[in-house]
Amino acid sequence: MKIVCVCACTSGIAHTYLAKAKLEKAAKELGDEIHVETQGTIGTENALTPEQIAEADVALLAVDIATTGNERFKNIPTVKVGTSLVVKAPKQLLERIEEEVKERKSQKE
Amino acid sequence: MADKEINIAKVINLNLIDLHLNGKTKKDVIKELSTLLKEDDDITNTQDFIDDVFLREEEGETGIGQGVAIPHGKSKAVKNTMIAIGLSDHPIPWETLDDKPVTAVILFAVRNQDADTLHLKLLQRVAILLSDDDFIDKLHAAKNKKNVIDLLCGNKGR
Repeated sequence: MKIVCVCACTSGIAHTYLAKAKLEKAAKELGDEIHVETQGTIGTENALTPEQIAEADVALLAVDIATTGNERFKNIPTVKVGTSLVVKAPKQLLERIEEEVKERKSQKE
Repeated sequence: MADKEINIAKVINLNLIDLHLNGKTKKDVIKELSTLLKEDDDITNTQDFIDDVFLREEEGETGIGQGVAIPHGKSKAVKNTMIAIGLSDHPIPWETLDDKPVTAVILFAVRNQDADTLHLKLLQRVAILLSDDDFIDKLHAAKNKKNVIDLLCGNKGR
């Protein structure tokens, strides 16, 4: 599964980056490809490229606040959760998303 | 990455570590760690800083599970963006993601005006370290202050 993700927490200092690191680890373990953009106090980092978004199976918004640029994901399935869920159970989250994406795909066919 | 050690050492020092917190509550512990920051001359006013930390606490749990909490205060009372670390021999009740109390508290003190992106980058790095179970285990097991700093700086030691 190819995932594009945006992480953003309330103060944009710690949880955003902890969530990013947890997702990257979980994705690696599951054999998923993930690109994580962070929108924090420091600004946007690791901004997603149009190519990454075009290739993605799903967009994951791990956000506690309103983030910018969500219109970029209008053509792909989007899942929105809070950063705390990502920090708590990143692997389970990705597994659940994968199931959902599969389901949506099979419904289309 | 050769300068990694020097870098992280900019946001932590031996004065900002307490291996045996006395506080039994979240409030006491935040006060204890804030006092360290004041004594190290990183914040100008302890109570103003604590108030800002509690503002953030109201927005959501800062206990990230595995016995660790990362309260943070972005405050005009902060002179230098730093972290203070406290370990405790007794469990401290905290709002956490796994509903368990904590024995390690990492308090982030962040300057209100983020002129200094370098320091924010270093805090990011600390947050990233906390995604590593091995790091968390070693933090809980740290025997002395130097241990804690070595861990943060990525010196695995033995």
